[in-house]
Amino acid sequence: MKDSELVDIVSRKLVPFILLFGCYLISHGHLSPGGGFQGGAVLAAGITLLCLSRGVKDTLRTFPMRRVSLSESAAFLMILAMGVIGLVLGRRFLGNFLPLGEPGQVPSAGFIFFLNLLIGLKVGTGISLVMFTLLREDE
Amino acid sequence: MKRTLASLALVLALGAVLLYGVRQIAPAPGALRDHFVHRGMEQTGSVNLVSSIYLGYRAFDTLGETVVLFLAVAGVMVLQAGKQ
Repeated sequence: MKDSELVDIVSRKLVPFILLFGCYLISHGHLSPGGGFQGGAVLAAGITLLCLSRGVKDTLRTFPMRRVSLSESAAFLMILAMGVIGLVLGRRFLGNFLPLGEPGQVPSAGFIFFLNLLIGLKVGTGISLVMFTLLREDE
Repeated sequence: MKRTLASLALVLALGAVLLYGVRQIAPAPGALRDHFVHRGMEQTGSVNLVSSIYLGYRAFDTLGETVVLFLAVAGVMVLQAGKQ
């Protein structure tokens, strides 16, 4: 696969746009179809394309395993922390504690926007980790 | 031939029972649905109603989904580490 010039060039040109689209889906999750899970899956699809076309070893130079794994755990802990903050401020666990803002703007819907960002990070890094571990042995 | 007829009769009988059961079900209650549709945007501030339900009203459920994904990733990594 690495000998094919076409696959190499096209995937390298395509991956930044796939990652950008994933970020768009995550950050506009409260306005349009999409959200944390879907956007995270798109992010992971971009990284998987990089793995398949360039090989896992090259991809791991851009996205080091340790950093990806750390950011996954950190995102999960931050989701839990956001839930506990709601509890501390006298609302429900995972209750909204931020101002709702103007409907339709990008940073609006308070808590949902940030939860979407965290879930997007968590799902993207999680599926990427699975892909790294599963594809690495085939080299 | 006999088997085919028997299975056909069994399928038809099962279908009749299921159809009877489905027709007995009362229509789904719409109070919660109407509440979400009419008040969802002002209560959570999210234009996308799906987001407002799965991160606003049912955020705890989403937390569970996240835990499932976390365990899946951990399981894959542990199993692959054992293989090497």
